[in-house]
Amino acid sequence: MTTDELQQLLAQQPIAVLHRLARGRVHRHFRAGKRRLIELLLQHSSQNLAGLESDLQALIGERQAQPQSTPAPARQTAPRHPAPPPNRRPHRTHEPESTEPSVSLAAWLEGLGVPSPQPFVPDPWQVEALAGLAETDVVVSVPTGSGKTYVAVEAARRAMDENRTVIYTSPLKALSNTKFTEFSKIFGSDRVGILTGDRQDNSQAPILIMTTEILRNLLYDAAGGEIDVRLDTLGLVILDESQYLADPERGVVWEETIIFCPSQAKLLLLSASIGNPQDIADWLTSIRPSPCRLVRHSKRTVPLRAGYLHPNGKLTPLFRTAGIPYGHPGQLHPEAKRLFLEYEEDTLPSGRPRR
Amino acid sequence: MPPSIHPVDLIAALREKSLTPAIVFLTSRRACDEAMEAFDHARTVLPPERQEAIATALERVIAQYPSIAEHPLIPTVQRIGVAAHHAGHLPSWKIAIEELMRQGCLDAVFATTTLAAGVDFPARTVVITQSSIRKARDFMDLTIGEVQQIAGRAGRRGKDYVGFAVVTPSPYIDLHVLTKGFTGNPEAIDSQFTISYPMVLNLLKAHPHEQIQAILAKSFAQFQLNQRANVLEGKLDVLHTQMEPFGPRVCTDWITQWHTFDQARRQKPHRHQTARHESPEVTARFHFMTPGRVVGLNKGRGIVLRQYRSKGQKSPMVTVLRAGGAITESPAGTVTDVFDRLFECAEQQGYPWCTSESFDELLYQLTELPTRLPLLPILVSKESDLIPDAIVQSLGDFPCPSCSSRPACQKDYLVASRLRQEQQRHIKSIQALRTSLWHRFQERIDVLQKFGYLSPASHLTDDGEWARLIRIDHSLLITELIRAEAFAGADPAVLTGVMASIAHDDDRPGAFPRVSTGLSSLLGQVRKLAESLSPYEDPPLLRADIAAVAERWVSDPGLTWIGLCRSTTMAEGDIYRLLARTLEFLSQLHTLRATHPGLADSASRAIDLIRRGVLEELP
Repeated sequence: MTTDELQQLLAQQPIAVLHRLARGRVHRHFRAGKRRLIELLLQHSSQNLAGLESDLQALIGERQAQPQSTPAPARQTAPRHPAPPPNRRPHRTHEPESTEPSVSLAAWLEGLGVPSPQPFVPDPWQVEALAGLAETDVVVSVPTGSGKTYVAVEAARRAMDENRTVIYTSPLKALSNTKFTEFSKIFGSDRVGILTGDRQDNSQAPILIMTTEILRNLLYDAAGGEIDVRLDTLGLVILDESQYLADPERGVVWEETIIFCPSQAKLLLLSASIGNPQDIADWLTSIRPSPCRLVRHSKRTVPLRAGYLHPNGKLTPLFRTAGIPYGHPGQLHPEAKRLFLEYEEDTLPSGRPRR
Repeated sequence: MPPSIHPVDLIAALREKSLTPAIVFLTSRRACDEAMEAFDHARTVLPPERQEAIATALERVIAQYPSIAEHPLIPTVQRIGVAAHHAGHLPSWKIAIEELMRQGCLDAVFATTTLAAGVDFPARTVVITQSSIRKARDFMDLTIGEVQQIAGRAGRRGKDYVGFAVVTPSPYIDLHVLTKGFTGNPEAIDSQFTISYPMVLNLLKAHPHEQIQAILAKSFAQFQLNQRANVLEGKLDVLHTQMEPFGPRVCTDWITQWHTFDQARRQKPHRHQTARHESPEVTARFHFMTPGRVVGLNKGRGIVLRQYRSKGQKSPMVTVLRAGGAITESPAGTVTDVFDRLFECAEQQGYPWCTSESFDELLYQLTELPTRLPLLPILVSKESDLIPDAIVQSLGDFPCPSCSSRPACQKDYLVASRLRQEQQRHIKSIQALRTSLWHRFQERIDVLQKFGYLSPASHLTDDGEWARLIRIDHSLLITELIRAEAFAGADPAVLTGVMASIAHDDDRPGAFPRVSTGLSSLLGQVRKLAESLSPYEDPPLLRADIAAVAERWVSDPGLTWIGLCRSTTMAEGDIYRLLARTLEFLSQLHTLRATHPGLADSASRAIDLIRRGVLEELP
């Protein structure tokens, strides 16, 4: 096929197909405008026009195999029963197509509501983290909102019962302030202090809240010979949001703090889910006096559901299953997929009616 | 179809499905503010009892932070139960919104994605409208970790059975990024270890030079470098086993031996002048075609004025004076005879290539030449294809030609040498990985020695002793300024201005108050110094307009916060952060009271002057 023929064929395709074709070829910010997109597509794959062509044919084939299905249901008020038939079209990602029908909106919304108040029972991972902390350093990597604060509070309480000082650091001043208020409520305001660069409130309190930079400076001062009584009795250092270790500008401060943290104090690293918590734990094991315990889990305490809200106000589930299909990003709900393609076609400049 | 859902409709849709309270993440602060404005004409109003609940909750916060009592957004928030929460707001206002959200008074909060980590309150639902985030002046796709951080705000423990993350399209969305983010595993994190000047000074203060390498080895950076080195070492082991069949043969290092032999064998004589397509004859004769030489050409004779080789011409060229005074350029190959007659010729740059006297003289000589002239006997060396003697000799030194393992060597050489090259490359990389941190540290030491913060033996000098207390960005610039006594006699306001302009790293444009002459001339000095330090430290932006905001706040103690905000277009949250950061910088100067009492005193007065009104509310 010549370039001209290819160009014509591209021009005949709906914009959505071009967009799928552009994925990985043209950067997203340059995908506006059909003619321009075609130009860019041809330009970027000028070395490999055959590849572009075969991809295009595959997409066209896929589109034809999928008859203009999933007609928009007239109304969304009633839950659709039965749910739309499972798709038979070849799937673009090479994952096994699930044969279950896609979840309906009603089923997706099920479970909305407020659970009746229940006595607080710590999760197994929280118990495990606290047990680990009795002996050694602990790295916690759990999803946001799992209850890391509970671990921090309990650990601080136990350390204080042993007449030890606790230092709690957060990356942001705003978070420090929030924690200061929160801890003051729990432990009483006379037992919680906060340190910033220019102010020290209740700096002899058994729990000190500060940003990680301040702690780093304290540790440097101590290493340089200035004696700080607070560090002698230090029993626990809690570094919240430790995933900041990877921050391009400030990550180094976390490393310095961990390297110079006195060995008699235990370290508790609280972090959101990260890809390599084992590395962090191994690192701590290699530099700290006792082997570090890693506590990780990826299951959210409150399960998450993803939805798609169309600009016309229509809500559908985003994935075929009610929960998140972990590891299968391609399992989109057919309705959400249809609406999104419609959206892309309608809103992009080339799709607008000519004026 | 609108490019994205209208905020009022969005909230209405969420309310209808009981998906509130919700956090709506938008691209920018402006988008958040515009979303709030969109409610101005909306008819949806909260029932009175909820309005009252908001009012009572707000009162409690106001009691603690009086600065927000007059906040212009209070009536709107109370009326519609929706608020905005972004970095342009005062921290106390953000705390108020967070408090309202925690108590469940609000239905939705519009927030920016940039500070998703700083949003420390959960909701039943998060709404995501974009898939990229502004990082360092550029838009980047959200990482899986960031998507999960955002989605993590959905679902309150103990208050919800499930949390919802709702995607609603806008022109800034790539659904694929988000679905990948929801379903994927977060990325591994990498160390961002950098070695700063204060780090070097503080380490050397506490530990002798020879212990530093062991301390650097404790960093996560080195841990990760070691991991990479270990992978390479694994590869090296594999290579080692692959190399085994190519072990020592007749000679121990047969690979090198064969390599040199092969090189010598293949060595071709270097590019000769023959490559210029000139016959050896011409080459030989060309040496004699010097200025003043009489030569015979196809027609008549002439005297050479100059000779040259030019890139444009394939063969060497001569400029010849012909009978009648013509000057011609001709290739040396067209010269038929070279005669044994040479005249004096005073050369000269440029046409006619000799002085006018010698031109006349030569012209005269040319006409006076006898008809027969003896030819110059020129020996032409024959072209030889022989290998240069050196190589012939060295070939004789090689045992290879007659060696018994010659066929084996010849066969294995390619594989073996590739393996060995790979081996050496890995060994080099491993060395680099093991020592790179130490080298970077050493580089910093060199700079600090050059500036006199460290003695040649890497001990802290007197300047180093106090300089190690300055542990902020641009520390080298600040310590150099102090040493240059740039702040001598500077009043607190000017000092604050300079520190603010060093501390501020945002290039958001805007309108600002006028800067005083004293400050602007000092900033000129600072800028000059910063430029001269740029090989050692990235210079800060040093915006004079930003400095003016901080200067005004300190120089005019009667100025109210509202008054300061009116003097500039900067958002109040930004002003607050600027002053807070300036405070941090000033408090570092304050630690120098032992060595620089004047400066420390000035800094502490500046701190006291900054700390008033809004700035006093939060620690």
